[in-house]
Amino acid sequence: MRRVLLRAVLAATVIASGCGGSGSSSSGGKVNIVLWHGYVDVEGNALNDAAKRFNATHPKIHVTVQNYGNADYALQKVLTAIRGGSYPDIVYLYGSWAANMARTPKAVDVAPLIKDDPSINWDDFWPAERQAVTVGPKIIGVPALVDNLALVYNKKLFDQAHIPYPTPDWTWDDFRNAAKQLTDTGAKQFGWAYVADASEDTVWRFDALLWQAGGDILTPDQKHAAFNSDAGVKAATLLQQMATVDHSVYLDNGNGNYANLFNSGKIGMLFTGPWDLSGFPDVDYGIQILPGDQNHNTISGPDQWVMLDNGDDRRSAAWTFLKWFTAPAEAMRWSIATGDLPIRASQTQTADYPKYTAKYKGIDTFVQNEQNAVKARPVLPTYNEISQAMGQAIQAVLLGKAEPKAALDQAAQQVDQILAQGS
Amino acid sequence: MRTWPFSPRHVVLLPIAAVMLIPLVWMLVTSVETLSESRHFPPTLVPSGIHWENYPNALDAAPFGRFFANSFIVTLASVAGNLVFCSLAGYAFARLRFFGRDVVFIVLLATLMVPFQVTMIPTFLIVQHLGLVNSLGALIAPNLVTPFGIFLLRQFFRTLPVELEEAARIDGCSRLGVLLRVVLPLSMPALATLGIVTFLWTWNDFLWPLIAISSTDQSTVQLGLAAFQGAHQTRWTLLMAGNVMALAPMLLVFVFAQRWFVQSLASTGVKG
Amino acid sequence: MIRRILGSDHAAGWLFVLPAVTLIFVFGILPIGWALLLSFQQNDLLTSPTWVGAGNYRALVHDPVFRDSIRRTIVYTLLFVPLSVGGALGVALLVHRPIRFSRFYRTAVFVPVATSTVATGIIFNWLLDPTYGIANYVLGKVGLGPYGFFQDPDQALYAIVAMTVWGWLGFDVIIYLAALQGIPADLIEAAQLDGAGRWGTFRHVVLPLLSPATLFLIVWSTINALQVFDEIYVTTRGGPLHATTVLVYYLYDQAFQVFHAGYAAAVAEVLFAITLVFSIAQLWIGNRRVHYSS
Repeated sequence: MRRVLLRAVLAATVIASGCGGSGSSSSGGKVNIVLWHGYVDVEGNALNDAAKRFNATHPKIHVTVQNYGNADYALQKVLTAIRGGSYPDIVYLYGSWAANMARTPKAVDVAPLIKDDPSINWDDFWPAERQAVTVGPKIIGVPALVDNLALVYNKKLFDQAHIPYPTPDWTWDDFRNAAKQLTDTGAKQFGWAYVADASEDTVWRFDALLWQAGGDILTPDQKHAAFNSDAGVKAATLLQQMATVDHSVYLDNGNGNYANLFNSGKIGMLFTGPWDLSGFPDVDYGIQILPGDQNHNTISGPDQWVMLDNGDDRRSAAWTFLKWFTAPAEAMRWSIATGDLPIRASQTQTADYPKYTAKYKGIDTFVQNEQNAVKARPVLPTYNEISQAMGQAIQAVLLGKAEPKAALDQAAQQVDQILAQGS
Repeated sequence: MRTWPFSPRHVVLLPIAAVMLIPLVWMLVTSVETLSESRHFPPTLVPSGIHWENYPNALDAAPFGRFFANSFIVTLASVAGNLVFCSLAGYAFARLRFFGRDVVFIVLLATLMVPFQVTMIPTFLIVQHLGLVNSLGALIAPNLVTPFGIFLLRQFFRTLPVELEEAARIDGCSRLGVLLRVVLPLSMPALATLGIVTFLWTWNDFLWPLIAISSTDQSTVQLGLAAFQGAHQTRWTLLMAGNVMALAPMLLVFVFAQRWFVQSLASTGVKG
Repeated sequence: MIRRILGSDHAAGWLFVLPAVTLIFVFGILPIGWALLLSFQQNDLLTSPTWVGAGNYRALVHDPVFRDSIRRTIVYTLLFVPLSVGGALGVALLVHRPIRFSRFYRTAVFVPVATSTVATGIIFNWLLDPTYGIANYVLGKVGLGPYGFFQDPDQALYAIVAMTVWGWLGFDVIIYLAALQGIPADLIEAAQLDGAGRWGTFRHVVLPLLSPATLFLIVWSTINALQVFDEIYVTTRGGPLHATTVLVYYLYDQAFQVFHAGYAAAVAEVLFAITLVFSIAQLWIGNRRVHYSS
């Protein structure tokens, strides 16, 4: 009875809003579509330019670009819009939300479109990007942005401590020793920084270490936690030793102060991605792939363009736009304008690629490093819960409030429960 | 009376004022620094030069003029709505004995106690149903009356001497007449308070505009500021320049209304 | 006869409250009922909800994070309300009587209220940084600390109390200043003529006349304290190790981070019940002790 009422009200709201998403519809054979994004500055301008060029060359489609503000809130916003029955055709969303989006019937599964349309050249996107949007049999979205973690270091601090710069075959021990030598308590200088707010920022850096030690987040059937393996304990122990014994780690509480401190020469090394580089104008920094244990795996953080269904015409118009926008030439133009990493492997073969590496110093290490992004985080609707449980455990270890093994076991128990309830 | 050259109260007040002013000083300093200075530690307290260009740059980075206009429209409408509707309701709850008064009052008060995060989605659906989504109306309609304002004015009206109102009633004034001619003129401090508070909340509201507005031309100042705070970049200097600009109208309103407090004291001439 | 009814307090009263009641019904009460409905559902805001009856409430009873979040919310409220209301009374009394620079002082305490929470968060993170913060630097000069503040699970909640008292003090001061303006000067003169000292005048004349404002501030601050969220969101995000996970933060986390909207609605209903109990108790005690002229 109550649900009938709810449905009735929902239906009424959809009717009241006139079915059209964000006030656009097709008129005179022209299909109007709306794209939501959170880009500002350089990237915002680049996107507006791209839409202009697309509209100029595609007389039957008009793309309207709208800024939804901070991308951190985008999922909340899109969900509310979908509930209200008026939503855009394309929306920029963080990678970790793919599984959640897959559950709403309004999100377009692009798997059939990819199958029918080889021109998209799907396998040209990096593996980590493809895994991030693959939810079971469905594919939710097209890659929009890719990042990965590398070791960014302050050359001057290395010189002062008389230690050689990091090499591609650095081990965890090399790394830990360097961090120790770079630390100077009196000068409030730290060897390394770690985001210890228990959020995904805390978890994904741990994921890289876990994979390097040969571990996994979940068992292959995705039914149980696996991060409390010996590999996981080894990774967490490295964090514990550095944070609570060596005191060589600045613990950031999630507000990005580590970037300012690195720029001020207070921190020797960071595990970070290309997005942070523009924040280091005052430091002569070098970039190296992450130190390793069994291997030198890194983690990749892809975001995507998700398509929402506003009827056949608009859906196919949105697909046309995304295909155009993510094609190698256009994607390379984007990378040159913004500094974002290539989203396709073939971009490195385009004629403009050298322009890109010349403009953004050291960026090719990140591009090469994408090859080390072998594994991906599980794409599950319950991923955020899993991440929270892991985050609490890692935070407890970093703060010296729990032993690695005990903390990970407890988190694993919670994760098993979350997976058992699995929705 | 006074034996000290200055009041000893300054000894207490000066440190308090200093602590309270830290953010403003910080924002002002950061807003005229270079990006590199703003990202420095220890914080650069005396910038190398005054970089006023952060202000026009902030204005260029987003249509702030439009945002300010939107914020002003929404804020002024909400302030006006609250002053009118809360006065009427607050007076009825304070003085009139009508059927169901206490029950209605408790229920209204109870709505104060539900966090907005809970009612956000239903509220959105209602606003959508009224056809207001992505318009300034969506920001105005739910804020025209606040239970807070009713509560505040009711409390204040009850402190006024009832004899004045009774005298006016005997002279043949209607209830509305009493409210307009006797009660409201005595209530300037409370009305000023409600005005400031409503201004403040509406101007600083972030979560609701975030949900209800999806296009740039309907955005408010706070939404515009949030756009600077993207996940992958923080341009502190522009952010702080924007924050100073967003703070300025509120401080002006406060300084203006403060003068009003003093005036109202002189003009009421209440003799208890 | 009809004229008498129309002219009566019943009709006038309803006419006066009608616009407010209508608007609050549409934008206040209706959504609350809707949220109550949600609390009986399993709802991820994406797929169609399923009816679970009291299931969410039963799960709450066995949820340790939820239990701790209630405890933290109450601890926070019991610290925040007296500190902010009492502090504001002190400041208001200091600047109310004529003093040089009084307008400067009033504006100064108002600045934090007017500053956006986002900016406040950025600033406090720097001030209270354990290694580099100015707070530890200053405290170190007098031989205290260093403290972990937001990064120490045993201190984070108190750091939030300090930050929010700082942020809200000016608001309470304004309310008190408005109330102080309403106190007729001749009442105070009369008391002083009767031989009452400064303290006696304050205790027996000023304080009772301020009691409606005090009741208002206590009820209002309590409601706000029980719902504290924004300041936590921009600083500790509920951590470290849940040390600042208060009820609304937990609710937000459940609804918008892990998509248990029905469960979150149940949390909200519990919060609603707690708030109702607090407020009714305060109003009930207050109404017996507050001085009204009528």
